[in-house]
Amino acid sequence: MSKTRSLFMAATASIALAQTATAQVSDDTLVVGLSADITTFEPAAISSRDNANIVRHIFETLFSIEGDGSVVPDLATNLAISDDGLAYTYTIEEGRTCHDGEALTAEDVAYSFNRAKDPANAFTGNTPGFVFSSVGFVDAVAIDDLNVQINIAAPNPIAFGLLAEVYIHCKDSYEAMTLEQAAASPVGSGSYKLASWTPGSEVVLEKVADPGTFQNIIYRIIPEASTRSAELMAGNVDIITNVAPDQIDAINASGTAEVQAVQGTRRMYVGFNLSEPFAAMPGGDAIQNPDVRRALQYAVDVPTICEQLLNFPCVRATGIVNPPNANQSLTPYPYDPAMAEKLLDEAGWPRLEDGNRFTIRFQAGKGRYLNDENVVLAIAQYLSDVGINIELDVMEWGSVYVPLIRERNVGPLFFLGSGGALWSPLYDMTDLAKVDSGTNYTHWSDPRWFDRWADISAAKTPEEQRVIIDEMLQVFYDDGPWLHMYFQPDFYGVSNRLNWTARPDEKVYLFNATLN
Amino acid sequence: MWTFIVRRLLQSVIVILGVTLISFISLQMGGDPTYLFVSERASEEEIQMIREALGFDKPLHIQYLTYLWNIAHGDFGNSLSYRQPAMGIVLGALPATIELTIFSMVIAITLAIPFGVFAALYRGRALDGSIMTMAMFGQSIPSFWLGIMMILFFGLYLGWFPISGQVPFLMPLFQGDFATAFGNLPSSLYHLVLPAVAVGFYSLSRNSRLVRSSMLEVLGQDYVRTARSKGISERAVVVNHALRNAWLPVVTMIGLEFGFLLGGVVVIETVFSWPGIGRLVFNAINQRDIPVVQASVIVLSVIFIALNLIVDLIYVRIDPRVKL
Repeated sequence: MSKTRSLFMAATASIALAQTATAQVSDDTLVVGLSADITTFEPAAISSRDNANIVRHIFETLFSIEGDGSVVPDLATNLAISDDGLAYTYTIEEGRTCHDGEALTAEDVAYSFNRAKDPANAFTGNTPGFVFSSVGFVDAVAIDDLNVQINIAAPNPIAFGLLAEVYIHCKDSYEAMTLEQAAASPVGSGSYKLASWTPGSEVVLEKVADPGTFQNIIYRIIPEASTRSAELMAGNVDIITNVAPDQIDAINASGTAEVQAVQGTRRMYVGFNLSEPFAAMPGGDAIQNPDVRRALQYAVDVPTICEQLLNFPCVRATGIVNPPNANQSLTPYPYDPAMAEKLLDEAGWPRLEDGNRFTIRFQAGKGRYLNDENVVLAIAQYLSDVGINIELDVMEWGSVYVPLIRERNVGPLFFLGSGGALWSPLYDMTDLAKVDSGTNYTHWSDPRWFDRWADISAAKTPEEQRVIIDEMLQVFYDDGPWLHMYFQPDFYGVSNRLNWTARPDEKVYLFNATLN
Repeated sequence: MWTFIVRRLLQSVIVILGVTLISFISLQMGGDPTYLFVSERASEEEIQMIREALGFDKPLHIQYLTYLWNIAHGDFGNSLSYRQPAMGIVLGALPATIELTIFSMVIAITLAIPFGVFAALYRGRALDGSIMTMAMFGQSIPSFWLGIMMILFFGLYLGWFPISGQVPFLMPLFQGDFATAFGNLPSSLYHLVLPAVAVGFYSLSRNSRLVRSSMLEVLGQDYVRTARSKGISERAVVVNHALRNAWLPVVTMIGLEFGFLLGGVVVIETVFSWPGIGRLVFNAINQRDIPVVQASVIVLSVIFIALNLIVDLIYVRIDPRVKL
């Protein structure tokens, strides 16, 4: 009997101990539940948004772009751009240090840039792969202790914003580390340092300087949406990303947390691949005609897709640019299937005996965007309703669809999203900077768009530039290569104990989060 | 017996080579993996530079032979995503999966044997019907759905168990940090309950049915009838005569199932945020992180082969009729 009682006591004590270990979050700690795993802390290898959201707390940048698109100084206090637009000279704040105590100077800034470009390191992250490719980065040179000059190959109207994405760190610490060490043990320059990292499980950051309200930030990797929601409602997590639309009501009804829904900056569209090989495919010839493309704009009920499948009343896009910077004279295409049918008839594609006008393949990946598979099915149905015989091809995202996309070999119709920004319309438009741009998956080549980039570069005032932008956006609206859909909404679950506002650009920055 | 072991180990090398070749070819079938590691705005020159840096520019057979050569020298390559040694990442995730697998097998076996035995002993009666109904549900319910339901009921509604996450026990144990390992043990077990039940419920159901049918077959044998006629107690007949013989197919199944679970817990690891090898492989396949996939395949193959070998050796031990 006494042995049984001892066992019972031991079991009870174990459970009590274990329950202590899973007690709710303390007041100096903020816990975030992320859907995707973190793979590296190497500043030049960061490529995913979740990874960048953590690393931004560890590393400073020269300037920061706020959620509303405004720009604020970060490490730099001043920027001077040369008359030819090829040299950006930043003055950095005096007295800044890295986490190991080393003074952060202009030489460190230059090193951060040049190290990211060094072919010997073979970095593939956002800095070398996207920023440097986009701005034509040449090199960075320290002029003195506080001034650093970034040289680019050609004038670029969005270089400033892109260069603000480069993470800055100190030279000595990174020269002393191997690449493997740098990937796991960052020596940062920001408000928080890495306290611990358990791959696949959690990342713990510890505050070392302002700004930052919480002493600790814990990022827990919780891939399953239902589990993230349950952790939030149980009070074990303060913020969760990527809330599934079907769980919004449950979270809002829980009394412990609420969902913040924001219209994001990611532009979702159905692309028309206009390349020659695709023009030879069934339906590929039909979409070469801008009248057909315009007709299809009327065929899809985007607001209903948003309400029914995304649980968000999004506004249909009028083009490639996010709403604050869009051509304000344009109104979204209405859902008008009769108009779609009329325009298709007029374009020379009447319904045949079988009720179809033409057959076309529609390709999409699944599992990348919010409820993407169902959205694609809905679009296919709407197009079928006006007589387009859709051959739907929904495939695995990472290993099948992405290579097709990157080879610009997808279509003739394809579903895709493209990350956007609020700080400049040109950022959004540079997806189509050149006919052969890697992001021009449609192979669209209308000179009324592509020839105008020279005019933008030559424009002397922002007002003059704006006129050209609006004219380009009008062309894109009328005859463009996208069937305009929506700006993807983002859903964040936020604990009632927390005061934090989600941004529209998918950046989860926690410096200003406070307890209610 | 030693000849048998050596022969099996030699066969294992061929099996592992075959597995690495198949997984290598499968990963290459999706197209050029370089595109997953470059920006969509990268120029052709930049893409080619990265292709060369990652070694994807070489012919496939050269890539594969280089990989084998490196393995022979203990180099499994660096993860393309983590930028760390691939084998280190895989071995870092393995203990979590072993914990989950062992615990779920313990639950499955310790319950399956009495369930199967009692179902056989009370064949056609209410107890048998109840156990077989449970077994039918267990084999019909998808484990991810069961996991989510358990999270919602036992984790969120009742608050009895943690909703997700893992507290490591084996990892610090393997590292020689016994204080941390045993300090973690209560919390580790506490976190294991829900995922282990979700994983083990299918095995529990299948093994219950297996034990039942095996017991029914054995209980009808002459030697059992002889034992009973000699006046041996029913308990001794069941435990010493029937169960010992009914145990043979179950041992085979358990051994295979352990290997199967090691590679098959990916869904439950995702549902319960369990940082194990299943989730690691799943992510690595999506990211075409070939070194991690290959290292995982090798580790899982070795474990599977070792388990089969152990099962064969146990078989000899418990069935004297079997000779190696």
